[in-house]
Amino acid sequence: MVFHSLRVVVAAAKFNLIITLRFFSGTAIALRLFAPIMTLGSAWVLYNQIYRGALTPEFGTLDYLSFITIGNAFYVFVFAAAFVVGRVMFWERATGTIEATFMTPMNRLAYMAGIMVAAAINSLIDFAAVFIIGILFGFHATSFNVLLFLASMFLTALALFGVGLIVNAVTLTLRDRTTTANTLMILFLVFSGLVCPIELMPQWAQTISKALPLTYGLKVMRASLLGTATFDLVYELATLSVIGAIYICVGALTLKLIERNLKKRALFSVF
Amino acid sequence: MFLRTVLAEARKNIKQYFFTARALFWALALPLGNGLYLYFLYLPFGSRTVNLEFTSRVFTLDLAGFTLIGQLLYSFFTMMLLAGVAFDAERWQGTLESVLLSPANRIAILLGMALANTLSYVWLLMGVMFSWVMFLNVSVVISDLPALLASVLLSYLSLVALGMSLEAFCIHSRRAHMYVNMLQEPIMFLSGLIFPLQSMPEALLPISYLLPLTFGLISVRLTLLGGASIFDVAIPLTILGIMIIIFTASAVWLVGYAERNAKAKATLTQF
Repeated sequence: MVFHSLRVVVAAAKFNLIITLRFFSGTAIALRLFAPIMTLGSAWVLYNQIYRGALTPEFGTLDYLSFITIGNAFYVFVFAAAFVVGRVMFWERATGTIEATFMTPMNRLAYMAGIMVAAAINSLIDFAAVFIIGILFGFHATSFNVLLFLASMFLTALALFGVGLIVNAVTLTLRDRTTTANTLMILFLVFSGLVCPIELMPQWAQTISKALPLTYGLKVMRASLLGTATFDLVYELATLSVIGAIYICVGALTLKLIERNLKKRALFSVF
Repeated sequence: MFLRTVLAEARKNIKQYFFTARALFWALALPLGNGLYLYFLYLPFGSRTVNLEFTSRVFTLDLAGFTLIGQLLYSFFTMMLLAGVAFDAERWQGTLESVLLSPANRIAILLGMALANTLSYVWLLMGVMFSWVMFLNVSVVISDLPALLASVLLSYLSLVALGMSLEAFCIHSRRAHMYVNMLQEPIMFLSGLIFPLQSMPEALLPISYLLPLTFGLISVRLTLLGGASIFDVAIPLTILGIMIIIFTASAVWLVGYAERNAKAKATLTQF
């Protein structure tokens, strides 16, 4: 059973990577990098031209431009990886393959995991590109804790896999490709602490950010690259793991229930 | 006849794109989220005001208002950009030939598309304004109401004229969607939406001055938040007036040229 699921993961990942290579577009990659370049450029102007390096004391001793670069690089990875999973079933339906996919005896989660793996490999290009661009704007890592770095990426990816499963279920029910995924994307973009520590945000915004896995993942990744590892990190890692487990359980359950409902009502390929 | 075409085209576009509650929600979520993102970008600097220099005077504006006005005008600008792909949408739906075979005035069609986007913008404007005043206590300083009204009206008309011009331009291209997406991020950076124009690198300023959004942002921000009079914003208002004439004239010429050219080469519906 485990071996079969592993084969599904590898096959789904391979199939998706082949498609990505076949339809590779330099313009599309450039378009994906526009938003982080704009944010880094704007942060550079704010920091160097307008406020001349003066930050509020609550910001702490972190390097501002490195803070922003890490936030953006991680977000690009998240966006490219998690939201591909969220739209899998929509595209299966749109291309007329959803019935065939659901008729196979494969594990659904393994199939989704395979797609996530392919998307994650693909998004590593963006991830690395943002760091390279960040160096031009003033990014410099003061340390590199490999274990923490990998833990932040792996645990956040797991949690976001759960989010992707939930989005998939919603997409299957509402037949909507963009609204759900884009609203979630905005939530992550605004409330995860990409451009400012969540402690500086208004209280109501902090409440939202505490429910997002990216918030914790970002803290761990910043700690791994900016040398700010403290005892609090144990809390961040534990919370990230718990949130990830909750999201995956909810996502798997929702997907199962919705699959059953769609089969019962024969609504799989109906638009 | 002209008016009927405008209304019919507007009605068609509203029905096609803004008929679901989800679409309305998304229309609200995106600018709200983007505005908050820009607001949070300023939080590490601790300042709640932004200094906007114009014609050797310095206006101190409320930060929340500064980002709010920026996001509202930018959202309208994006809507006009998206209206620009309306002819492209007609092409892939297979209805472009029918539209252009009808005796309807082409400018009336363009105006109808722009009107549909404008109407959906009213929803966005009310929703975003209400949320910001509720959550972030935006403070407004108006000392010259006619100046504010002139700023809003001229900004609006110049963006509609630009949208019409883009619509006409997009008939020439089969990659209109991609171009429109590519334009969004650089325009966000160059127009002074994120930070005041006086901080823009000098080499980029000539490009900023080609955008109606730049002058719209200056005049609306100064009259709504900085208490500027009509004399303070006379220059941007005059430039906006000139842009309205230029973009409208270019829209009329471009749409005629595109139609003649496509008919002569029989490339109207070819991809």
